[in-house]
Amino acid sequence: MPENTIQPKLCQKCVLPETFPGIKFDAAGVCSYCQKDEKTIEKAPVRKAQYRQRLDQLVKETQAEARTYDAIMAYSGGKDSSYTLKLLRDRYDLRIAALTFDNHFVSPAAYDNIKKVCDALHVDHIIFKPPWSVIKPLFALTAQTDPFAAPTLLRASSICTACIGLVKSLVLKTALEMSIPLVAFGWSPGQAPIQSGIMKTNPRLIRMNQSALKKALPVEIAASITPYLLPDQYYEKYDHKFPHNIHPLAFFDYDETAIKEELGTIGWQAPSDTDTNSSNCLLNAYANQCHIKRCSFHPYVWEIANLVRQGVMTRNEGIEKIYTEQNAEMVRYAQTRLT
Amino acid sequence: MMDEIKAKIRAFIVENFLYGEDSELDDDTSFLGDGIIDSTGILELVGFLEETFEIEVDDEELLPENLDSLDNVAAYVARKI
Ligand SMILES: [Zn+2]
Repeated sequence: MPENTIQPKLCQKCVLPETFPGIKFDAAGVCSYCQKDEKTIEKAPVRKAQYRQRLDQLVKETQAEARTYDAIMAYSGGKDSSYTLKLLRDRYDLRIAALTFDNHFVSPAAYDNIKKVCDALHVDHIIFKPPWSVIKPLFALTAQTDPFAAPTLLRASSICTACIGLVKSLVLKTALEMSIPLVAFGWSPGQAPIQSGIMKTNPRLIRMNQSALKKALPVEIAASITPYLLPDQYYEKYDHKFPHNIHPLAFFDYDETAIKEELGTIGWQAPSDTDTNSSNCLLNAYANQCHIKRCSFHPYVWEIANLVRQGVMTRNEGIEKIYTEQNAEMVRYAQTRLT
Repeated sequence: MMDEIKAKIRAFIVENFLYGEDSELDDDTSFLGDGIIDSTGILELVGFLEETFEIEVDDEELLPENLDSLDNVAAYVARKI
């Protein structure tokens, strides 16, 4: 075993550690989450097929009413969102606006990929970049503390939760303003359960989500991000135009090697200047390290454990992804910028 | 019957979103307002309801008054079955 690995007791089947909240192990060392997941995994192929049909149907219905674009895509330039974009173009020929939220840590390699992919797929690209004066306090805070509700920590670091909260809000806001009926995300099948693959957004549920996000933050920071959230009047003004969120990778075939190969044909390249889990964000290693220090488990472990159970990656590949130390140089880079 | 429904839903929420800690969960605690569940989590709850109680939840029914607390969910399920 390499020197730079840290190894608590792990589930014998997935990669969840004994430090993961609520975990129990049976006599064979298999965790309670693996046991609970067995039925879901058994039923997955049938359900995935149902969801693919549902998306076919939904696209047919919405294409008829869309004005300028059929879909807006939350686009990071990473493998998963690039592949989602390609899938939506190839399978449905959708007119897509790809929106990249530039959190001031988007890697140059990610930008290279974004340019290549958008050009190759004939997709319009929008970059949204709030000023550093808004971004820095939000990330500096979430690097130091976990302001959001406890369950969020099981799926992501607080830095990621803050960033994704803004991304979700911005793509929704843009969808409403531009009358776009579909909002696409590139969540992997480890991040998004099948039943979350297609969802009609509901104004009142979104409103409660957004106020929970704001309520969790100190008043000044909450005020500074308010312009990026939905204005109160939108909930009524656009009441009947709230889009469907779609997470296609939750229910299409997902094979990492095949995905990388297919993306290679349109010029996308796996970046080397970032950490092992994220191919696009220079803040990720530091976000991971902050989370591991406070929570004693890796913020990606839930996703990777799911992917291992689903057979997308082997347990050893999962262990390497999760239990390798964060790249010290990357950690220092982000830490310095945030202090 | 209502108590039985509520107990099943409580067990699901505690196990999947509170990871065994049920001290924070009253019958009228707002799932979304208190950040226990986000909008994606609501769909996991819907999936559970559809499977466990053999009901179908329509898009138009994804409303706080149906889904945002133990009381609301239990009453909603009781109406549907
Ligand atoms: Zn396990």
